[in-house]
Amino acid sequence: MNFRWSVGRTIIYLVLTVGAALMIFPFYWMVATSFQNRQETASSTPVLIPEQMRLRNWVASFQLGRQGRPGLLGGLLGGFRPGRSVSLDLTLANTSGGEVEAIIPKPLGVLSFPLGDDTLIETRLVSEGPEGGGRDRGTPTNPGEGGSLYRVTLTNQGESAYSRIPLEVRIPKGATLLSSTLAPDGLRSSRRFNRVEYADIAPGAVGYLFRNYVAAWQAAPFGRYFFNSAFTAIVQVLAGLTVASLAAFALARIPFWGREVVFVLILGTLMVPGEVLLIPNFVVLARLSWINTYFALIVPFIASAFGIFLLRQFFLTLPQELFDAARIDGAGWLTQLWQIAIPLALPGLLTYALFAFLGSWNALLWPLIVTNSDDMRTIQVGLRFFVEETGTDFGPMMAASTMAILPIIIGFFFVQKQFIQGIARSGLK
Amino acid sequence: MAQEQQVFSLSGSRRALDERWQPRLWLAALLTGAAGLAGAGFHRLELLGPDAAGSVGGITIGLLAVAATTQVALSFYLGDRTRWIGTASGIVTAGLLPIAGSLPLFGIVWPGLALIGGLLLLYIRSRAQLSERTINQLSGWLLVIPALVLMMLWVYFPAIYALWISLFKDFNYLGAAEFVGLENYRIALRDPRFLKSLANTTWYVVGTVPLSIFLGMLTAILLNERIRGLSLYRVAYFLPYITALTAAAAVWRWIYNPNAGLLNWLLGLGDFRWLANPNGLFELILSPFGVELSGLVVGPSVALIAIMIMSVWHFLGYNVVIFLAGLQSIPKEYYEAARIDGTNWHQQVRYITWPLLAPTTFFVLIISLIGSLNVFTQILILTPEGGVLNDTLSVVMYLYFKGFRDFDFGYASALAFILFVITLLLTLLQRRLFNRLFGGEAETR
Repeated sequence: MNFRWSVGRTIIYLVLTVGAALMIFPFYWMVATSFQNRQETASSTPVLIPEQMRLRNWVASFQLGRQGRPGLLGGLLGGFRPGRSVSLDLTLANTSGGEVEAIIPKPLGVLSFPLGDDTLIETRLVSEGPEGGGRDRGTPTNPGEGGSLYRVTLTNQGESAYSRIPLEVRIPKGATLLSSTLAPDGLRSSRRFNRVEYADIAPGAVGYLFRNYVAAWQAAPFGRYFFNSAFTAIVQVLAGLTVASLAAFALARIPFWGREVVFVLILGTLMVPGEVLLIPNFVVLARLSWINTYFALIVPFIASAFGIFLLRQFFLTLPQELFDAARIDGAGWLTQLWQIAIPLALPGLLTYALFAFLGSWNALLWPLIVTNSDDMRTIQVGLRFFVEETGTDFGPMMAASTMAILPIIIGFFFVQKQFIQGIARSGLK
Repeated sequence: MAQEQQVFSLSGSRRALDERWQPRLWLAALLTGAAGLAGAGFHRLELLGPDAAGSVGGITIGLLAVAATTQVALSFYLGDRTRWIGTASGIVTAGLLPIAGSLPLFGIVWPGLALIGGLLLLYIRSRAQLSERTINQLSGWLLVIPALVLMMLWVYFPAIYALWISLFKDFNYLGAAEFVGLENYRIALRDPRFLKSLANTTWYVVGTVPLSIFLGMLTAILLNERIRGLSLYRVAYFLPYITALTAAAAVWRWIYNPNAGLLNWLLGLGDFRWLANPNGLFELILSPFGVELSGLVVGPSVALIAIMIMSVWHFLGYNVVIFLAGLQSIPKEYYEAARIDGTNWHQQVRYITWPLLAPTTFFVLIISLIGSLNVFTQILILTPEGGVLNDTLSVVMYLYFKGFRDFDFGYASALAFILFVITLLLTLLQRRLFNRLFGGEAETR
């Protein structure tokens, strides 16, 4: 019996853990991809731990960033100040076939190229290895020992500072890269040589780690999207809380003529599905010239039958004596609501606030319909267009997705318990 | 000083004032109605459009505007110290008018503010002099009116308006539309794309609802076995539910990517195109046996199945949490009694958990059913055009395309109503079925 029991427990834990891992894994994959460079996302074997997530590269990018720009700021954000020089070490095997040459790739279609003109590039063979591992062919060379060490030094001889130093190191066709100060962002081969590519050799730790985030942020006005979403959600929650607590209090506590009818009318809105309202509400908004304004995003969702119902249930459970005592002391209804009912129903208010915030933050269809300019898009609509536009550039796409869910995830960990209880309660009542 | 005295003397004869008050309220209501019609006719009608339903909206807004004005005026007319508040609010309102008038939101913000101000004034007055019953009437209505007005404006009126729009051809908010009666509905029932979307949505419901209920219940039952780290597991299962569908679908789009996606690598499928595959599931299963299928029986397309998997992942956590709460509300004594009688785990689940969980199951069933009938976001992200040959097009997505790409509002409204009726019928049907199976337990909620 005891044996069977423990076997059963083990199976339960096993099933639950595998399930939980399956549930969580897409999140990990989202974050991991947001740190992948283009070559890693395009790789046919998924890169589970991309270079950008390795501590070694953070340290290297910090040091390289400080070489390009002095101080902590340089270490974090990088850059290429006048007079500074940045050195990158590469260990190569089998270099006998030709020269190692470093260049700064010129962007396509530009006339002047100041970074390239200002920068002095020196490539030096520091120590020669046992020629390229060529002596005992077939055995794998030990990195660092087996190869020749090359040092590429870039010096800014100009007057201006640059934010990025892209670099391309051309190595002979047969040569292989054993190690490098900073992991390269791409290895490509062309007809005469192989190329080791770096998007930025003095990125700074932050600049290196959050490269895709910066790319996404620069490709679309995510700051604006965030503001729109946050503003919409906060106003919607505050207005919704006000309207719902007023109505719920009247329905729970104040005897007035027509109370039942009002309650039925409010609950009746639950019967009307949202998609029926899309078009008429759009027409009304269009005629009010409210399309592409915050009003269109906020006003139709302020009154919520769910919120009123939830708060009414809370107010109903409060003991009548409290209100009687307050009334004897001369408190009116609003005082009773504000001083007694609201403080005691805070869990209910919080639950409704969380639901409303989440609903507003995560909504796509309605904001998609009522916004038509980039500066009015909410984060979800912005993300949707970003996903459409980036196509297969999954690094920035996942970076944008991570940004879009991050506020909710962080917030969730703070109010996790209340939130789950709130959801559970909505199912029980 | 004189004001103070007046208040004092008035509150001394409360009954008299009540009688004085009542006819004025009626008068205000009458004035409100008449002036509202006039106001609507003069001012808002033009903005709201040529059709009759538009003027209903205009009348509503006009009514609000005039109600507010009347109430402010009334409070002023009745005198005493609220007059000063009334005056102040009147000045503020008047000051707002030019600003509001130049803004497009003039139509609702001004009457809304004035209405709230007027009602507030009434409330302040009533506190001082009215009987408790009247106070209750006034305050009750005062407190529910914001919610009620908003719901009338944004739910009830639009619902009727949608029905009205669905009777027109070429309805848009710019020009005149042609009244065609039920023609849109007739077209819809013969529209192959709509029928396709209906079939897809049906497959989606059939595929996701039972599976997510089963998995949710199973997980909840396991989690309820007094395991360690319950909250950790619960968070893990719940996390997908709180993430935005847009972002979650973007991740799955990456996972399903044919060339470098994770899934093809895991399954060793090469460059299998998950999201651009219109082949039906049953078709794929049966084709090695030489069975050729066509029409509806080919089953949901591979792309639709990919979407279903993603959706089950996303919504599972909600079911787990609800089921877990349902399980925790079952008294422990039942299980103890059952254990004394020597039952095993399966019997406990079968004879205690399952029947006592029935109301929760019903709740989850209804919620998931309504949710899955409205599936839209994940399909838009995963297959932006509704898939190859419309193989992932859902009803709401078709409605979105018809309404907001083709701007055929009449037809889209008709589609919305058909979906509404289907949802309603299914919900009612389930309720009946459930009551027959479980003896009316669902009625308790």
